[in-house]
Amino acid sequence: MKKVNSIYIVDDDPITVFGIRKMLKPAAICDDIQVFENGKSALEDLKNRLEYGIPVPEVIFLDINMPIMDGWDFLEEFVGLDIKDKVVINMITSSIDPSDYQKWAEFREKSLHCLNFKNKPLFKIEPSDLDTVNLAS
Amino acid sequence: MKAIETVPQYYLLKQLPKATALVNTNQVLVGASDSWLDIFDQNPHKNIGSDIFALYSSHQDVVPKTLQKFLAKREPGTLRHKRENGGSEQWFESTFTPWFDEKENILGTIIQVDDITKQVENELELEKINNTLKTKSEVAKVGCWEYDIESEELNWCDETRKIHQVPQSYTPNVADAIAFYKKGYSRNKISMLFHKALKDGTPFSKRLIIVTKENEERWVRAAGKPITENGKVVKLFGTFQDIHEQVMAEMKSEESRQLLTTLIDNIPLNIFVKDKESRKILVNKAECEYVGLRPEDIIGKTDFDLYDKEVARISRDEDLEVMRTQKPMLGKETINIKKDGHTTHFLTSKIPLLDLEGKVNGLIGIGMDITHLKKKEDQLRNLINVTAVQNKKLINFAHIVSHNLRSHTANFSMLLEFLIKEEDETEKERILGMLSQASDNLLFTLEDLNQVVAINTNVNLEKKSLKISDVVNKVQQDLSIFLEKNHVQINDEIPNNLTVSSVPAYLESIILNLMTNAVKYRSPERRPLITLNAKKQGKNVHFSITDNGLGIDLDKHGGKIFGMYKTFHDRKDARGLGLYITKNQIEAMGGGVTVHSEVDKGTTFNVYFNEES
Repeated sequence: MKKVNSIYIVDDDPITVFGIRKMLKPAAICDDIQVFENGKSALEDLKNRLEYGIPVPEVIFLDINMPIMDGWDFLEEFVGLDIKDKVVINMITSSIDPSDYQKWAEFREKSLHCLNFKNKPLFKIEPSDLDTVNLAS
Repeated sequence: MKAIETVPQYYLLKQLPKATALVNTNQVLVGASDSWLDIFDQNPHKNIGSDIFALYSSHQDVVPKTLQKFLAKREPGTLRHKRENGGSEQWFESTFTPWFDEKENILGTIIQVDDITKQVENELELEKINNTLKTKSEVAKVGCWEYDIESEELNWCDETRKIHQVPQSYTPNVADAIAFYKKGYSRNKISMLFHKALKDGTPFSKRLIIVTKENEERWVRAAGKPITENGKVVKLFGTFQDIHEQVMAEMKSEESRQLLTTLIDNIPLNIFVKDKESRKILVNKAECEYVGLRPEDIIGKTDFDLYDKEVARISRDEDLEVMRTQKPMLGKETINIKKDGHTTHFLTSKIPLLDLEGKVNGLIGIGMDITHLKKKEDQLRNLINVTAVQNKKLINFAHIVSHNLRSHTANFSMLLEFLIKEEDETEKERILGMLSQASDNLLFTLEDLNQVVAINTNVNLEKKSLKISDVVNKVQQDLSIFLEKNHVQINDEIPNNLTVSSVPAYLESIILNLMTNAVKYRSPERRPLITLNAKKQGKNVHFSITDNGLGIDLDKHGGKIFGMYKTFHDRKDARGLGLYITKNQIEAMGGGVTVHSEVDKGTTFNVYFNEES
């Protein structure tokens, strides 16, 4: 079981949050799982961490459709932040709109971080969803 | 031979101005005037005693037997003879008269000679003229006739007989002649004309039909004019001409012309013929109707006289090209603009017109009015555009539907998977609770989607003319508690009588939504102020609602503000549906909506109602 220092779940749907939490249990050991209802509050927390030198999360589960600040706007801001370590970002969506997939591909090109695109429903969290090394290969 | 002596009184004879000679019974010349001797080329002094036969034999056309008759038998008579003199001919007529003494004893013959050259020439000329006339009359089939009133005799010439197909021996009377005309118009007409000419001397010339002896119908031209003597009509003289072939040819060409005219006048195409200078030299009915002038007012005009300058220039260039290359221009789409600006679309063809030598003489133009087709095409294009927009909206909506439904169904499958594997009863209860929540969410979503579908499918909802102020008042009443609770101040500047064409339920929903939003997103620091306005703007009505609320960063969110399930403020009751529905309702009625906003200052929504469709 992989040990992860901190995980963000950014999603406005409580059921999905419940599901991710449940699936994480057998997959990772983590004492710091934070949940945010939209991109804005997640971003604020992240900025806070950077300011106070608290380590940023190694893994983020990110919904696309959210109020106030959606997944794409969050990503836009996120890639501009000064974060040294590679972060695994799992985009979780029920969208089958090809334009969403294309947007993801564009972000993956310009970002240093590991971006995964995962269509709902999820049944299990794979080790690769938590590890940058596996994805790099 | 004692008779041969010069008688002194014969000297008188010698001087007679008229050529005269005396011949004795032995046909010997006994005396002659110098003028006579000159005719026979004789010396005036030495010829007495010459044989008269010898003298005459120097002339031509003298028949000795006839001469013998006059001289030997001393019968009176005349004789024509001719002298050739260096190429020219001289004609003479000798008159022989018996010569008696005072006791009526025959002495011989007196011969007098006249120079009749002039007369003979005239006769020949006359004969020539007569011959020419006869030939002419035969060739031109012109006969003549003459009617003598007193004797009631009618004379036909040979040609007139030939035209009637009667033998040359045939002599008609007036009744016979009239009976040859075809019963009916022709016969009535000729009787009338003939009698009128007789009565008051009116000349006539008329094309009529006769039925010949061989029972053939032929066209003739019968003409007559009176010949008067002392102011009284004594004769009618006229011509009679066979013009059957000519009339037939005329009728045939008239028929072809008629056919052609009928054809080009009734064909639903504009047809014109232009000369080398692009002047119109022939136009059909459709072209005249299009131009709006009579043919005589169009003939000779160019496009520059009739149409817009630029249009005329293009047309002239086409004409020149067609005439230069001798290649027709076929089915080209052209636009014609009249001087008054009236525009017509044509499918135009221009075909070079060649003369008999194959040289370009002008062109034939054919134009088909396709304005109505063009209009249809434009309508169709508009429809395609509308459909394309509609289609885009539908695809967008399909994505929304699939996304929203998928997110719920995905939750179902995920939760069910958990439930199957879960053994802990408390956890199972929790999962079941979640499932029930997911089911509720799905129902909500379906309701939302139903609303949107209803708006977009009921495109033909009946619009009514509604007073905006009435609807605003109703909404204000419905929201009164909500407005009071939030201390909302409303500044209503809508003109009292302004009406808008709208679906009643939609107008209410739009105003309700926008007003609710204006209050919902109020600034906590200010008392909410809503300004309502409306005015007529050309064919549209422009309605605006301005608040002093939180505002929204349009640079960031402008593209999504009317999107489904898009919310921008941290409010629990914001579902991201209101503006999406509002926009759909406005667009379903053919209108539009825009937004202006400044963060922490306020927002204005502008709604444009389409008053036309």
